Amino acid sequence: MSETALPIVAEGLQRYFGSGDNIVKAVDGVDLQIQPGEIFGFLGPNGAGKSTTVRMLTTLLRPTGGKGRVAGFDIVSEADSVRRNIGVALQDAAIDPLMTGTELLRLQAVLYGLPKAQHHQRAGELLERVGLTAAGGRRVGTYSGGMRRRLDLALSLIHEPSVLFLDEPTTGLDPMSRISLWEEIRRLNNDGTTVLLTTQYLEEADQLAERIAIIDHGVIVRKGRPTELKAEVGSPTLFVTVDESTHQIATGLLAKFGELRPSPEGSLGVGLHEGPSAVSNVVRELDDAGITVRNLELREPSLDDVFAEATGYRLEGAES
Amino acid sequence: MRTDQAARPINTRRTPHSAAAVGLAKRSIVNITRLPSAFLPSVLMPVFQSIAFAGTFFAIIQIPGFPTDRSINWFLPLGTLMGAGFAGIGIGFSTIRDLETGFYDRIRLTPAPRSALITGPLAAALIRAALVTTIVIIVGLIFGARPTHGPTGVLFLYVAAAGIAALGTGWGLGLAFRFRDMRAAAIMQLTFFLLIFLTDAQTPLFIMDGWLELVARINPFTNVIRLARLGFLDAPITWNNIWGGLIAIVAISALTLTFARRSLARLSDS
Repeated sequence: MSETALPIVAEGLQRYFGSGDNIVKAVDGVDLQIQPGEIFGFLGPNGAGKSTTVRMLTTLLRPTGGKGRVAGFDIVSEADSVRRNIGVALQDAAIDPLMTGTELLRLQAVLYGLPKAQHHQRAGELLERVGLTAAGGRRVGTYSGGMRRRLDLALSLIHEPSVLFLDEPTTGLDPMSRISLWEEIRRLNNDGTTVLLTTQYLEEADQLAERIAIIDHGVIVRKGRPTELKAEVGSPTLFVTVDESTHQIATGLLAKFGELRPSPEGSLGVGLHEGPSAVSNVVRELDDAGITVRNLELREPSLDDVFAEATGYRLEGAES
Repeated sequence: MRTDQAARPINTRRTPHSAAAVGLAKRSIVNITRLPSAFLPSVLMPVFQSIAFAGTFFAIIQIPGFPTDRSINWFLPLGTLMGAGFAGIGIGFSTIRDLETGFYDRIRLTPAPRSALITGPLAAALIRAALVTTIVIIVGLIFGARPTHGPTGVLFLYVAAAGIAALGTGWGLGLAFRFRDMRAAAIMQLTFFLLIFLTDAQTPLFIMDGWLELVARINPFTNVIRLARLGFLDAPITWNNIWGGLIAIVAISALTLTFARRSLARLSDS
């Protein structure tokens, strides 16, 4: 498929802030090729460059360097055409609290140039789709966080976009609201919408995305299907919690069974070369050395392991 | 991946400028009713100012050659222009709020013509200014103001108010886009107050002296105030008293609205 036919393409996309010694490379050469009808996960911690990349691809921010095409149009020289064909739900669901849900949807319909006769019908359809029909006449200031997110999603769908950008759509939501939003994203994708989803939740990326890219300090460090990326990590990780005073000895012993891996604070992690069967040997070795094991946990390779292998630290438990 | 789905057709539908501008203006006007506390000061302040100045400085009419025998006739146009200016600058305030909350990003993400993002708020400011002007005139009439040249004279006050609202909108929007926070609000107010009061706003030019007289004479806002007062002074309405104000309004509005348009374009740079 030619690059112009792909819904989202980025080539060496860069965005620097500041100048001279104070230059901050928020995004430093991001390459992406997202296929039609795909849900693509963009995974990384806060400040990694996810939102900056999305802001560039959605025409809100001019790139410092590199190129981008969305829906077949250049993000700089054909920004208007890009805007006509994308839907965007930004990180903070910033919606005018003084307006009602229906009023906002109608304003959105006006700004997207929908024929006036369709405004009422389209607003009603979308409110129903996101379960806000009863709340449509209420001011947004009275909505809960989950309701705002759903309305934000509805606003981004007013013109039936072919490409949808969702920037951390579930951050701050309770588990039920999160699952409900996941279902809506799947439905949209089943209808043929290409979705670029940024998230700092590993489970979200694992659940929704067919392919993911991991970004850290403005650079993509891994890209591929989650199953393939996990397979590349290979062996499972054993997390062992021991007394602080025996950490150093335990570290030396664990290193015999595989490479040491980043672990949550207070525990030690080792990739078991011989797989799960080595667990009993690890326990025996630690016991022989007089080390008391407080906790033991064996984990199959996860996206967190992929992230840790690529960046040297874990996303789970990272400050968000 | 849904490879069985045919690619969606490219959306080529263009948003009409007028529709987008009307939509944004409507939102701004509706929000006045939702948050009256943000609008009321721009009505009450010029009403209070007109009445208070007229009462406090009532003896001003005893100055030989003073162009009216009613102090409120002198101060009402000034109060009206202050209200119109704040109607324009108020658009800048609400834009700052939209920028700070992130709602402005949602507006920028739409394919609405970028010029409509200026003309929409401008239309809202003109409506607000017309509203303020009408209220100030009504209250002024109750407190003794008398138009000296009938409806035509009053029309000049509306024209001047619309001009001040337009240039205030351009200035307010431009600063809001540049600073993106409340720092812009302070600059908007300070510059507007300085430009209005460094004129013959309080006293006629012929009794002013020194640097203040020089500044007032070259300040284009003096011409706008002269235009606004035409229908409330005893002197006949002549073209000489009109053209300076009209040119000042058109030229300064063009400058500030261009500043707003360029500043909007620069939002994508940072």
